[in-house]
Amino acid sequence: MVQVSSATSQLRPLSDPGQGRKTLHHLGADDRSSTRVRIVDAALACMARQGLGKTTVDDIARQATFSRATVYRTFPGGKDAIVAAVTETEVARLFSSLAVVMGEATDLEDVLVAGMVEAARRLGGHAALAYLLAHEPGVILPRLTFADMDRILFAAGDFAAPFFARWLSPDQAARAAEWAVRIVFAYMADPAPDTDLADPADTRALVRTFVLPGILALRASTDDAPGPTPIRSIRPGSPTNTTKGAVQ
Amino acid sequence: MPDVRERLLQATYDCVARWGLAKTTVEDAAREAGVSRATVYRYFPGGRDELVSAVVGWEFARFFLRLYDEVHDADTLEEVMERGLVFAHNAILEHEVLQRILQTEPEILLPRLTVEANETHKLVAAFLSPYLVRHGMAEGTDLDAAADFLARMVLSYIESPGRWDLNDPAQVARLVRAELLAGIR
Repeated sequence: MVQVSSATSQLRPLSDPGQGRKTLHHLGADDRSSTRVRIVDAALACMARQGLGKTTVDDIARQATFSRATVYRTFPGGKDAIVAAVTETEVARLFSSLAVVMGEATDLEDVLVAGMVEAARRLGGHAALAYLLAHEPGVILPRLTFADMDRILFAAGDFAAPFFARWLSPDQAARAAEWAVRIVFAYMADPAPDTDLADPADTRALVRTFVLPGILALRASTDDAPGPTPIRSIRPGSPTNTTKGAVQ
Repeated sequence: MPDVRERLLQATYDCVARWGLAKTTVEDAAREAGVSRATVYRYFPGGRDELVSAVVGWEFARFFLRLYDEVHDADTLEEVMERGLVFAHNAILEHEVLQRILQTEPEILLPRLTVEANETHKLVAAFLSPYLVRHGMAEGTDLDAAADFLARMVLSYIESPGRWDLNDPAQVARLVRAELLAGIR
């Protein structure tokens, strides 16, 4: 089980194909880590072009303009270790961009919309992920379904929960955050013709229609202390009535 | 012989249960069903690949029939969702063949489940729509939008429930009333 205790604590990779790397390396902090980042970025470029199966350590070294020896010195575990580092790095990058946009939002609706739009854009615009989904689904889908998706949901819920803490108790916040992540993946795996979560207007409509009433009900359904701030801090003149059918 | 196709699918399923997806051949399915290879190709011109895809779809359809049996006489939409979630999630966990293949051959099964995922969520939406109509939605709710959203969510929860313990009736009741129906009812 992946545990991330707060938005800024160490992150674990979503999946760990046996290489046992558990810590997040601070990007660009010294020569060794910038070598790591160059190799990771080279691996991403190779994967976006030719997928995972065909990418070799030689390809990655050439792309990074390093020698094989440098790559193996940085990643003694070879290709598997590089792939683990790619996952870890991309998750860290996604989380840090999410932290920026969600941290800037000032009401619950905006936190949800900002996080979901950013996640949908980053995942939808990720060239290596897109290549794998299109051409090597057998490689990527096991990481994004069933128990592996549960792991992603736990990690993402733990990561995002603090951003909801002003409005929700820790348990409610974790469930709400996990729900938002679930929605992003559900629409990514199976795009809807008239709902594009990378589009803020579409996401806002979805959040107002289905998500905010649900969070209100989630908050009403437990007796653990709710946050002090009213949940519906919708901007003045908001056209949508989010209280529709709120709580049974 | 209208039941040859059905017999072939059952035979293929039995072979897959025994040997897995990769090792099941047209010959195996023909032998198991007691028909010739030519007969298999008459029903499944695409051979092994088509047979394997068809058996995944066939098992899916059987699953939906069982799900329908489970929920069709529920009195409220909440009860439909509660019973359906618990049944579907446990059916997945207790499905020995599915679980074994998820362990041993996920790379073969999952692309087939996902390629057909679009159809799956439409199937679930179509399944849920009459219940939304019958049990009522809040004024102004768009039936198609509600059914589409609900279908995506239901599929997500039964596959990966995350923090929700679907064996705890209190949690299921809370999940259904908050994350599934609050925006619809």
